[in-house]
Amino acid sequence: MTSVCPYCGYKNRPGVLFCEECGKNLQAEANATLPTRKIDEGAKDLAAKATWGTARFNPASSIIIHVRDSAEPIILQPTKRTVVGRSDSSSTQKPDLDLTPYGALEKGVSRLHAAIERSEDTLTLIDMGSSNGTHLNGQRLIPDQPRVLRDGDEIRFGKLVAHVYFK
Amino acid sequence: MADLDYYGLLAISPHASSDEIKAAYRRFARRLHPDANRNSPGAAAQFQSITQAYETLLDPVRRQRYDEETLRIRTGKGKNNAYFTLRVTPSRQSLTPLDDPQVMYLLAEIAADPRIRDEVQKRESNLNLTLVLDRSNSMNGTRLDKVKVAAHQIIDNLTPKDILSVVTFNDRQEVIIPATYVSDKPALKARVSLMSASGGTEIFHGLSSGVEQNRKYLGPRLVNRVILLTDGHTFGDQERCLELAKEAHKDGIGISAMGLGHDWNDEFLDKIASTTGGTSAYIDSAGAVVRFLNEHVRQLSYAFAERVGLSIAPDPDIVLESAFKLSPNPQPLTIEEGFIPVGSLQANRAISVLFQLQVPAGITLGFRSLARIMANGDILTNEPQAFQALSDISVDVVEEPQPDNPPANIMDALGKLTLYKMQERAREALERGDVAEATRRLENLATRLLDMGEEELANQALAEARRVAHTSNLSDRGSKTLRFHTRYLLAGSVTEDNS
Repeated sequence: MTSVCPYCGYKNRPGVLFCEECGKNLQAEANATLPTRKIDEGAKDLAAKATWGTARFNPASSIIIHVRDSAEPIILQPTKRTVVGRSDSSSTQKPDLDLTPYGALEKGVSRLHAAIERSEDTLTLIDMGSSNGTHLNGQRLIPDQPRVLRDGDEIRFGKLVAHVYFK
Repeated sequence: MADLDYYGLLAISPHASSDEIKAAYRRFARRLHPDANRNSPGAAAQFQSITQAYETLLDPVRRQRYDEETLRIRTGKGKNNAYFTLRVTPSRQSLTPLDDPQVMYLLAEIAADPRIRDEVQKRESNLNLTLVLDRSNSMNGTRLDKVKVAAHQIIDNLTPKDILSVVTFNDRQEVIIPATYVSDKPALKARVSLMSASGGTEIFHGLSSGVEQNRKYLGPRLVNRVILLTDGHTFGDQERCLELAKEAHKDGIGISAMGLGHDWNDEFLDKIASTTGGTSAYIDSAGAVVRFLNEHVRQLSYAFAERVGLSIAPDPDIVLESAFKLSPNPQPLTIEEGFIPVGSLQANRAISVLFQLQVPAGITLGFRSLARIMANGDILTNEPQAFQALSDISVDVVEEPQPDNPPANIMDALGKLTLYKMQERAREALERGDVAEATRRLENLATRLLDMGEEELANQALAEARRVAHTSNLSDRGSKTLRFHTRYLLAGSVTEDNS
C-alpha cells in the first residue's frame, strides 16, 4: 500500500487512490510493484556474496541488469560502448539497450540516456546529457564524466531503477 | 404516520421482544449518540430516528398502532414495500492497522426499485415550478430574448396539472405570473414576452418572492422547485439568500441556480443549490439558455421521488471529509446538514454520491462498522409516502494487507473527481495568497487533462496557470469553465442504469 506518489513524490495518506498533488492514479503503480518482491530476494542472494561489489570485470563475464518491476533480467555482453536509452519512431539513432519494454517513456528515460563503456577490466557508466539524469547508487552523475561500475550497483535512468550484477 | 421502517432501523425482527428492542437501541445509541459524535450532523439526525423507533416500539399501544398502519400500507394500494434501494460500495473490503490515518471512499447509489422502474410511465410527476429570472440591464438583448424563448418552451411543455409562477427581478422584484395551473398557455406566454431589461442585480428580493409564490401550492406529491437564473453578482444579500434557501428547503422546496455568462458568484450559487437539493449550472452563452432550462425542467418532470436526502453517520472515530454528488448533475454537497439534500430521483437514473472518510491510526483488529448511511425521500405515486432505505457499512481489519482492487466504478469516478478537486485546491491556494502553489496545481491539472485527452480544457488550465503566475488572479471565465467543466467530465462516467 504505497502512499508516496511515484510520479511527483507527494506523500499521500494511505488509501488515497489518486495522488492529491498531481492527480495520477496511484493504484496502477501499486499493482505494478507487486512482482518486485521476488526479484529483490534474488538480488539479496547475489549481493550476499560481497557487501561491496568488486569493480573488476572479468573479460569473459557478462552483465545482468535487473530492472525493477520486471521479472526477467537483461543479460548483456558489453561491447566497447553500449548505449542505453529508448527507441523512438522519430529518431534515427537506436540505443544498443532499448528500455522501452520497461516503461522507459513514462519513467523519463531519454532516447540516448547513458552509455556503459568497457575498458581493460572495468566498466564505466557515463550519462549522455539525459533530461532526467542518471543516478549511480543514489548520486547523480555529471554528464559525460565516467564513473566506475561495481557489482551490485544501483543505477537509475530517470525514474527507472535497475541493479547491475557481474557474472 | 408510518414513515420509517422502525424494525429495520433497529435491525430487529418484527416479533422482537422488548428486551431485544432495548438491547438493539443501546447498541446503536452507543454509535450514534450526539455526545460521542459532536461534529457529525448525520449522526444526530440518525440518533433521532432510532430514538423515535425505540420509543414507538417500546410502548405496546403505539407499537400495535404502528404495526397496523404498516400492514395497511403494505397490503393496500402500494403493492411494493421497496420504492428505492440504497447500495453502498466501499473502496476497500479490508483495512490494516497503520500508524497513520488512512482514507477510505464509499460510493452510495440510490436507485428506483426495478419493479417500479417497469411500472413507471413516461411522465410521473407534477411540477410546482417557479422561475425567478434576472432582468437587470446586463440581460439586455440576446440574453433576455433567449430567456423568453426558454420560458415559452417550458410553458408549452407543462400540462394543466402543473403549476407555474414567474418572478422577475433587478433591484426590485415583480411577480409577472402569480402561481397558477397552466391552462391558458398563450396568456402566460404573453406575460413573459413583456419582460424588459433595466437596473441592477439584487437576488434576495426576487428569490424571496419566488419562494413565496412556490409556497402557495406547496404539496407533498409535487416537485416543488424554484429555478433562479442570473447573470450578475448580488451585493450584500448573500447571507440572507442562504437563510432563505434553508427555510425553503425545510418546507420541501428545492432551488436550482443557473449562472449565465461569466460575471456571477459561482460559490454562492453552488451553495444555494446544495443547501436545497437543487442543481447549479454554468451557462456560458445566451444560446445555451434554452437547452439548459428545458433539459432541467424535463428532468424534474421525470422525478419519481422528491426531496431525497442522504444522512451518513460515521462511527465516532471516523471523520467524514467530503461528499460529492456524481450523478445526476455532478456537484459538491454540503455536509453540514443531518440529511444531505440530493434532489429528486428519476425512475431510470440512480443518484450516486461519493463520500471520503478518514480512518484513524491504530485501529484494532477484527470486524468493525464504519458508518451507517440512510436515504429517504417522498414517493410521488398515488399514495404519497415517505420512504427510507438503510445501509450499515463494515470492514474487516486484518494484520496482513490484502491485495485489493478498488471497484472500477469508484476508480473511474474518483479519477475524474480528482480533477475537480485539483482546481478547487488551486483556488484555495490562491485565496491564501500562495500564488506559486496555485500555479503549480493548475499546471498539474493541465497535465492530467491532457493525459485524458481533454485538450481544450487542458489549454484553459494552462492559460489560467500563466495568468495566475503573472497577475495572481484567475479570469472569471476560466475559473468557471474549470470549475464546472471538470464536473461535467463526471456526468458520463457513472452508470446511467445499474440494473
